[in-house]
Amino acid sequence: MSNVRRIGWLCAFAPEEIVSAAGLLPMRLSGGGESTAVADAYIYSNLCPYVKSTLALGLNGKARHLDGLVFVRSCDGMRRMYDVWKTYVGTRFVYMLEVPKNKGEAAVEYFASQLRKFAHALEQEFGVDITPASLNEAIRMTNKARRLMQRIYQIQRNVPLPLPGSEVFQLGLDGLGMTKGAFILRLEEYCKKAESQVPQRGDKGKARVLISGNVIDRPELFRLIEAAGADVVAVDLCTARRHFDHLVDENSGDPYLALAHRYLGELSCARMTGLEERLNEMEELVKAYAVDGVVYTSVKFCDQHLADAPYFVEKLKDEGVMVLFLENDYTWGNTGQLKTRVEAFVEILDSRRR
Amino acid sequence: MLKIFYEGMKKSAEEEFQRRPRAWLMYTIQLTSTLLKAFEDDAKVVWTTYYSFPMELLAAFDVVPFDFEIGCNLLPGVDPKGCVDIMTEAEARGYSLDLCSFHRLALGSYFLGYFPKADLLLTTSHFCDGKTKTNQILARYYGKEAMMLDVPNELSKESVTYVSKQLQGIAGKLEEISGHKLDLDRLQECIRASNRARAAYGRLAELWKTKPFAWDGSRLCNLSIIGNMFSGTPFQEQLYQKIIEECEQRIAEGKVAPEEFRVLWLAWFPAQRTNINEIFRQNKVSIVMSELARVYWDEVDEKHPFEGMALRCLKNPYVGPIEQRLAGVLQMVDEYAVDGVVHFSSAACRHANASFRMIMDALVARDVPFLVLDGDMSDQRNYSAEGTWSLLESFIEVMAVRK
Repeated sequence: MSNVRRIGWLCAFAPEEIVSAAGLLPMRLSGGGESTAVADAYIYSNLCPYVKSTLALGLNGKARHLDGLVFVRSCDGMRRMYDVWKTYVGTRFVYMLEVPKNKGEAAVEYFASQLRKFAHALEQEFGVDITPASLNEAIRMTNKARRLMQRIYQIQRNVPLPLPGSEVFQLGLDGLGMTKGAFILRLEEYCKKAESQVPQRGDKGKARVLISGNVIDRPELFRLIEAAGADVVAVDLCTARRHFDHLVDENSGDPYLALAHRYLGELSCARMTGLEERLNEMEELVKAYAVDGVVYTSVKFCDQHLADAPYFVEKLKDEGVMVLFLENDYTWGNTGQLKTRVEAFVEILDSRRR
Repeated sequence: MLKIFYEGMKKSAEEEFQRRPRAWLMYTIQLTSTLLKAFEDDAKVVWTTYYSFPMELLAAFDVVPFDFEIGCNLLPGVDPKGCVDIMTEAEARGYSLDLCSFHRLALGSYFLGYFPKADLLLTTSHFCDGKTKTNQILARYYGKEAMMLDVPNELSKESVTYVSKQLQGIAGKLEEISGHKLDLDRLQECIRASNRARAAYGRLAELWKTKPFAWDGSRLCNLSIIGNMFSGTPFQEQLYQKIIEECEQRIAEGKVAPEEFRVLWLAWFPAQRTNINEIFRQNKVSIVMSELARVYWDEVDEKHPFEGMALRCLKNPYVGPIEQRLAGVLQMVDEYAVDGVVHFSSAACRHANASFRMIMDALVARDVPFLVLDGDMSDQRNYSAEGTWSLLESFIEVMAVRK
């Protein structure tokens, strides 16, 4: 692994396939628990803590394992973090990939042109060739990992829940930094284990929770919900379902166009237009996973997710779905108050199930 | 309530205009008249973003443009306390205090039924995440379509085509709303009006270089945002021409305020009532230019109106990498011979604030004093008059030492 050249990425819209096709290892960069203090001197303090924490990682010299970093125009914070990273961190290759915020033919065509440009930039910088064959192979491998992950998600529809939600979430999270080959092996093993679990007939299990929101990199919320006596059955986050759902067409004559269709046409995120579409997807997840309650969470200062929250809460409640909205600081450091709120929420869910 | 407020503003501006036919009154009358049209039953009202959407396209369809940010953020200058009550309506429904006060005020205004109707809600992606999101939410509440002109962060043949195609799609939607087909001759006429206004604005921006500064700095900031609502109409050129005449007259008669320090203003000027103007007046400081007041765009090619309008969007200083914004800032620092630069950082204005360090480093390298002035556009709960006083006075001292 020491000769492996790594390209970091920060958003589910970054096309890992192109990086893999270049013979480089795509790996998600996350600030995790990095203190944001140093970042405040470089980027405004009222910015999303995911941006600040990840920037802090770079400023503290903890992203030197990366040979490159690809940003996408996810949001205002990411756009500006790109400027700061390029200026003050000094990673060898820093790239801003344009990802439209609209769907539709013009957007897909434009995005495909940007994907080609990105591939070309990687070729130039790293002296590699991205051939149609290598790109198609990368698409197949990435799809394979996605299919396996989707299989595990499918298993989680069972009542009672076969696998702890925190474990499944961590499995996906781990995969964001592994080679596709290694990740596939791990997923195949995990699938075997998962499929061997035989649900106890007649067991109604625990209250079933869907976590929805933007980015979570730590297990605290899962632990709080599980400790309160509920199960996390589905996870609609950038670092979970939104990353693994939907496949790229493997038989397209133009793999860049196929990638553009998958990323732009299929992924549902608050950065895109289509508020109602996102709500519908959430409602579908509620039905498919027999969800009793939704925990909608957003990191502080994320305008896109914070602004959606009241509308979603109102609409889901109209549908009879219990919702708990939690604004978080990304580090999930202060769990004391959260614990009380989560416990109260699970208690309500339990009482409604009786 | 907003309608009554606009009527009052219009009436007092008209009465004052009878006594003193000044440009600012002319502007206020036109602004309030346009906003009031949005309340007329037969009006086709398109909600938009005055300062970033190519308004020429709306002018070509004769629809009434209404910007929910501007529409309700005329209030904080008059009744900041009342605005807190309006924002509270949104906050009580779960809209986070971390969201921009511009948007909380708009959402609160909606919940209280202050806004006019909307036939289409149209905005752009480059100003800012909060605006696009609020636009979508309001569209859902109204049960109307939300459209977003997505402006990429890079300027290329492909991005011009992409934006241009979207504008053509929007034109199709405007045909539906207005009930008539796009008249290309009319669009070209609007583009020509906009180009003439651009030329007049360029002359005005030249006049602002004169020492001492011959106009009003906070009005300059205001005009750089709201003035764009008239793009594509003959009024815009008339307005700029009238301001030019007034500035020239002031210069000729020596009726300009005493000036010791010249400041370039970055980002927005607060919509709420503040003590900034008073502090500057007492210390003989002029805001001589605002970064959004710069003529950053080229003449729009009337033969290729959609590509031309797309180019204008893509050349906006807030689009693209920081170098694009920074180049404009440094150019103004030189051209306007400023003594210092102030960046007003409204708490939730992330797309502007996040670049403060790079701007600061570039200015420090040129030995130009720079201040990040924290505050809030419209929420008086996040604005400290004492803190502002203390920061600005210290900054003025620094400028004095450097002089």
